[in-house]
Amino acid sequence: MNGAGIGAARRFPDIIVRAIWYRTCVHCMNDESALIAGLRQRDPQAFATFFEQYADRIYRLAYGIVGNEADAEEALQSTFISALEAIDRFEQHARLGTWLYRIAYNHALMILRRRRPEESLPDEDGPLPVPSALTDWSTLPEDRLLSSEAQEILRNAIAELPTTLRAAFICRDIEGFSTAECAQIIGVSEGALKVRLHRARLALRERVSEYFGEWVASSSPRGDRDHDM
Amino acid sequence: MTCEELIAHLSSYLDHEMDAALVAEVQEHIAHCRNCRVVLDTSQRLMVLLHDEGRRIIPMRERSALFDRLQQAFLNRSPASDSNTTV
Repeated sequence: MNGAGIGAARRFPDIIVRAIWYRTCVHCMNDESALIAGLRQRDPQAFATFFEQYADRIYRLAYGIVGNEADAEEALQSTFISALEAIDRFEQHARLGTWLYRIAYNHALMILRRRRPEESLPDEDGPLPVPSALTDWSTLPEDRLLSSEAQEILRNAIAELPTTLRAAFICRDIEGFSTAECAQIIGVSEGALKVRLHRARLALRERVSEYFGEWVASSSPRGDRDHDM
Repeated sequence: MTCEELIAHLSSYLDHEMDAALVAEVQEHIAHCRNCRVVLDTSQRLMVLLHDEGRRIIPMRERSALFDRLQQAFLNRSPASDSNTTV
């Protein structure tokens, strides 16, 4: 869209103009090579597409690691600035998203270390924790599991994970990157990534089951209790 | 398959990365082990819930300002970047 177009569109609410502009740009720039070429040529439309395609995903990863909006925005800004400065040197061995995520992961980690320099790394070689919360809450009604109370429990459970496990979980289970891509983003072997992901899932299930299991127990007439494993 | 072995292989099962013979062993195990069935069922349910919960986006009140700031930085950068930024 040219400058005159933007000016004319100013009669409409800004949010609507942007939504239309983004949508148009996404359609004409959905090819990754074309997008990279556009960014190298400093094309504003390419930037709009880049922002639309990646900003939320980078923000989500950053938020998952740093745990608050202000730091997530700082990580997003730093990521975009680093990536756009380096786009001329980007070699297309990796997908653009994987490359960006790796930059975002490093920026988020730097911010987190500034905030919490004392966090210790979890033991990834020790025995797996044995599940002890064994109440079956999987059949709780949908509206209960999607309630704001349930969402808060889920958010807190994610936030309580050690950073290394949280990053593996967000990459794989939230963003849907493959194991190989997650390993590349985080900078570990695929084997190590799988171990982190497995431990993250077990820890999340245990934590969440403590709360949801109570809901089952309190709603069951015979007071359903955990069984020993 | 023991309970410990099932827990060790849980993620492979959830990710459908397990070979058919092991899948059959898991299914045979959970047919008579109530606790492992609960771990499996709650893990599967939890993965769906967490996926939905994690779909956070940039707050609308910040989105436009962020876009403007970053676009400005993008348009203002030097033509052929000779920056040594490590990425």
